[in-house]
Amino acid sequence: MGHALLEMRSITKEFPGVTALSDVSLVVRPGDIHAICGENGAGKSTLMKVLSGVHPYGSYQGTIFYQGVECRFADIRASEHAGIVIIHQELALVPGMSITENLFLGNEPRKWGRIDWRGANHRALELMRLVGLNEDPDTLARDIGVGKQQLVEIAKAFAKDVRLLILDEPTAALNETDSRHLLDLLRGFKQRGITSIMISHKLNEVEAIADAITILRDGRAIETITVADSGADEDRIVRGMVGRDLESRFPEHVPNIGEVFFEVRDWTVRHPVSAERLVCKNSSFTVRRGEIVGFAGLMGAGRTELAMSVFGRSYGVHLGGRIVKDGREIEIRSVADAIRNGLAYVSEDRKAIGLNLLDDVKTSVVAAKLSKITRRGVLDEAAQYHEAEHYRRTLRIKTPSVDEGVTRLSGGNQQKVVLAKWMFTDPDLLILDEPTRGIDVGAKYEIYGIIQRLADEGKGVIVISSELPELIGLCDRIYTVFEGTITGEIDRRDADPELLMKQMTSTKRMRSA
Amino acid sequence: MSRRRDLQKNLFGGTTSNARQFGMIFTLVAIIVFFQIMTDGLTLTSGNMIALTQQYAYISILSIGMLMVIVAGHIDLSVGSVAAFTGIVVAKAISEQGLPWPAGIALGLLVGALIGAWQGFWVAYIGVPAFIVTLAGMLLFRGGNQYIGNADTVPVPEGFRTIGAGYLPETGPDTGYNNLTLLLGLALCAAVVWREWHARRVRQRMEGAEPAPLWVSAVRLAVMVGVILFATFRFAGGRVGTSFPVSGIILAVLVIAYSFYTRNTAGGRHIYAVGGNARAAELSGVQLRRVNFLVMTNMGILAALAGMIFVARSAASGPQDGLNWELDAIAAVFIGGAAVSGGLGTVSGSIVGGLVMAVLNNGLQLIGTGADMVQIIKGLFLLGAVALDVYNKKQGRFSVIGSLMRPFRREPPRIPAPDTSTREAEFLPGR
Amino acid sequence: MRTPLHKVLAVGFVAALVASGCGSERSESGSTAPEKGFAADALIGVALPSKTSENWVLAGDLFTDGLKEAGFQSDVQYAGASTTVADQQAQITAMITKGAKVIVIGATDAAQLSTQVSQAKQSGAVVVAYDRLITNTPDVDYYIAFDNFKVGQLQGQALLDGMKSRKATGPWTIELFSGSPDDNNSGVFFNGAMDVLKPLIERGEVVVGSGQTDVKQTATQGWKAENAQSRMDSLLNSTYAGDKTLDGVLSPNDTLARAIITSIKGAGKPIPIVTGQDSEVESVKSIMAGEQYSTINKDTRKLVAETVNMVKTLQAGNQPTVNDTKSYDNGVKVVPAYLLPPVIVTKTNAAEAYADDPKLSPLTR
Repeated sequence: MGHALLEMRSITKEFPGVTALSDVSLVVRPGDIHAICGENGAGKSTLMKVLSGVHPYGSYQGTIFYQGVECRFADIRASEHAGIVIIHQELALVPGMSITENLFLGNEPRKWGRIDWRGANHRALELMRLVGLNEDPDTLARDIGVGKQQLVEIAKAFAKDVRLLILDEPTAALNETDSRHLLDLLRGFKQRGITSIMISHKLNEVEAIADAITILRDGRAIETITVADSGADEDRIVRGMVGRDLESRFPEHVPNIGEVFFEVRDWTVRHPVSAERLVCKNSSFTVRRGEIVGFAGLMGAGRTELAMSVFGRSYGVHLGGRIVKDGREIEIRSVADAIRNGLAYVSEDRKAIGLNLLDDVKTSVVAAKLSKITRRGVLDEAAQYHEAEHYRRTLRIKTPSVDEGVTRLSGGNQQKVVLAKWMFTDPDLLILDEPTRGIDVGAKYEIYGIIQRLADEGKGVIVISSELPELIGLCDRIYTVFEGTITGEIDRRDADPELLMKQMTSTKRMRSA
Repeated sequence: MSRRRDLQKNLFGGTTSNARQFGMIFTLVAIIVFFQIMTDGLTLTSGNMIALTQQYAYISILSIGMLMVIVAGHIDLSVGSVAAFTGIVVAKAISEQGLPWPAGIALGLLVGALIGAWQGFWVAYIGVPAFIVTLAGMLLFRGGNQYIGNADTVPVPEGFRTIGAGYLPETGPDTGYNNLTLLLGLALCAAVVWREWHARRVRQRMEGAEPAPLWVSAVRLAVMVGVILFATFRFAGGRVGTSFPVSGIILAVLVIAYSFYTRNTAGGRHIYAVGGNARAAELSGVQLRRVNFLVMTNMGILAALAGMIFVARSAASGPQDGLNWELDAIAAVFIGGAAVSGGLGTVSGSIVGGLVMAVLNNGLQLIGTGADMVQIIKGLFLLGAVALDVYNKKQGRFSVIGSLMRPFRREPPRIPAPDTSTREAEFLPGR
Repeated sequence: MRTPLHKVLAVGFVAALVASGCGSERSESGSTAPEKGFAADALIGVALPSKTSENWVLAGDLFTDGLKEAGFQSDVQYAGASTTVADQQAQITAMITKGAKVIVIGATDAAQLSTQVSQAKQSGAVVVAYDRLITNTPDVDYYIAFDNFKVGQLQGQALLDGMKSRKATGPWTIELFSGSPDDNNSGVFFNGAMDVLKPLIERGEVVVGSGQTDVKQTATQGWKAENAQSRMDSLLNSTYAGDKTLDGVLSPNDTLARAIITSIKGAGKPIPIVTGQDSEVESVKSIMAGEQYSTINKDTRKLVAETVNMVKTLQAGNQPTVNDTKSYDNGVKVVPAYLLPPVIVTKTNAAEAYADDPKLSPLTR
């Protein structure tokens, strides 16, 4: 294998009660882009934490050789000193600080004991050029998009003299354009001799960019594929990750679509702060019983805003529009009204606004409709337990018991808990905002199955997603949204990515059906 | 799992979320035993236990309300001033306007509710942080107290003093004890037995959940009944004319009512939801503003009650009433296991936290420690208690010493779940 | 796992606990008559206000030593600085629990101790109000203090004498300060002083510059120096903003007197005649330096010694001596009092007045 830049040998890491990594070895050659794939909970992040010194030497078994020398990192500082920089999935920028300030946070260039801001700005521009970020270095981090924030994080790594860059799900929060830009950037780094390790769920990206792919499952390394030798075969990766074949990404499903039962007409909403900005303009759409309706659009197109404002006016200021359900106009002024009228909204950010992270599984499941387990004003703990148990079994939520705290569940299982929470409210219409964001292939498959089952029960389901293949594979009908306006309505049979993309990026309204 | 861990789990419960609270129960026992020895048995005499109850009833009442405020993610700095303000208003109304004292109590509760609603309005509907609103309230109502009271000490009549310094009457045959206190103790024993039996029945109704072995219930019951009977005899066996204090009864009723409310009703759970994640709660249909408003209003009422009990005990309302009470109440809540960021904590935990501080204070006074040293020791204790908890949390391990008081907990113990998935082993802590 | 051992242990534990709880402490209230005396090494409790003035600290030390010398056990407690009333209530209760036979109380708030005092009485302890009379309770047995009305009269007279020595004839302009409104003595001092000053004010020979002559207007909350200082500051900025001269200030004690002088110095005005009380070290220095005019010598040693004597008399089962049985009505009853005479001290008689005081006499040389 020649000279490896990094070699991790037989790493075993145990947490109280669980073995997170068991005898994992990893060899990374210099200049490679090395992808690590695996389901959530497979041990990818733990492996990277071992490498970067988050789990210090001594807390794991095995050895790490970096540039031919054995390393015993005591903390992150030690690994950064050696040129290993990790960029976490959750970005660590200070929103109220400028790009320059963020770049040199904790690493400020000093002159005569004072921070040399002129020099810093100068160096910041250099670093920004390196990552292709074209902004004023004095712009505040909060004022640039997620994609650019990611670039700042990477520039920050360069400020630290990086030799081995580790990216944990770098494109999870990015739209297609930003993702593509980031991948190009990684290729550019490769030419400069910088080695990257990338953790990703997006197999198409992995396929497109990786020189080597290591697959982890259940804390073990399944195999390492060298792309130059054997090529990157998506099926092979998926098989390695889940330990079984996925004939299809989507379960077989024969839709059984009924009458239109839910209709939104001329819905107009303005931004909560700025009075001129309309985030929804005269939007109208319908949902039939048993139908899965997709909402496609780029980030910031107004999909989430539309969904949330319909769901009890929980976003923005309502200016006009009506909601008709089962042929009767209904007035929904609050979330409580929405729940009473059989609406459910599963938010895109389950940690920030979907769950109370202090809760356990059972309290989360019943949280949106406590009245259902209340008997004469008193919560019935046995009923709560039964309900939670029911969903644990039917949705196959992986947890030792429903008394477990939700933070101890993996992303996919947390998402199932959120789904259970809203299924518990007996909704007629479920709005699912990015229901598979940040969860792994196996769990996605299960969630698709759940969505289809809900439709089969005669409920209407709206799925908002940034992943076009997901919408095309799952939905019976897709609306496209652009700048707060619904720009198109496409039947499943006619849907293809190019058509969708065209309508997602233009205001011209088209109708294919 | 080893036999020992099995035993520990059965006796003390497997979940760890209330570890601090149960650590505190054992700390409490340790402190009581320590001072019982140091004071040659004075700590657990009837007289001292009665005095202790009277001295800390009002702080504990405050800490009930404070717990709810803190769980909802706020803080209330004004409780001492509100208590003092209500105290002077009630004392003046009774002694100068000739209001009958029961009407005075009603007036006090009304004043408290109005003040609470005033502060709740700013917090919930305008969105001013509670820290600021109640800091303003602290000045406002302290000033109000001085304005109305002219910094005078205003006495209250004998009848009113009952709520702070009163005892149960002596009735029935001469048993050598206060009969009503004995009855109360027996009723409490019966309630505890019923609660345990009921909890077992609920657990039996959960399919697949095996109730703890019978002997576990028996041991737990035995300990609780033992403690209750011990306390009953002590409280009933004080000087003739004394009994379990009226202020203690008021406190006990409130503790039971509020524990029940916070644990077993939708309204209570909404408070935890708001404190845990306000936005998530809102999107689950919780009316955020109403919860915040009610929590602050409730605090006002309880502060008023605490103020009146103190005035009743002191027989007069004075200009120094309520000074620094907020700090005692907040300390009790945090020692009792609440989280500074909200969403966590229990009423019973706060009471235990308050009791720990009270016994510490009382014990130090009994062995003749000066007020200066008492403050230093209390300060260090508060810091140590919370720091130990934070440290344990960081280490990811808990000194789970458990739940002899299981019925007072927010959740039943972990039930071994039936294996439905073959890949259970994949479950990992965190992501 | 269901070994009978657990049951045995549980039953044993409960039995032990319950059995230990059974000891009844019932006794008829008031059955122990204090007149019959008590053991010569009995516990004597002393509850004093917070350590904010040197006098209380000195009194505490003297009590500790004096009671020990007399063969008693002592428990001397100060209230905490911030939670005074509640602390003192708890301290008195603790003393009762420990079985104190006499409890000497220097009250923080004279009206908020009646519950504790009555508990003390019922447990058979004798309650002695020290320096401050406890009000609203029938259960105070004795009051021991300096004659506070006399103190006020002496302060008023000293103020007049001082002003006369600077400016032979009136009218003189003065300002009045009184003590904390929650201290029963404040009014007594003030009324004593007004007993002397009022006729002159009515005749126009003495003018209160600000017109504030009511005890409430002149009050100093909590006897705190900062409160007196800020009130003086505002008086100087309002009433004496122009050329109006201030000839004298009636100050109820030394701490406040010094605060008032600090304020006047800060405003750049000449220091008027300022009275005081308590013979605090700093004030004696100030008097010798010619700033503060007078103070009152209420020798804490004498007061503590008399109190310890009273305790000894009670121990022997005798009636303690009292010299005033009609002046001190606490709202419920007239408390028998033993009053000590105060002495006014100015620069001229300081050396003589403090001759016996090891701390103060060097300052007067």
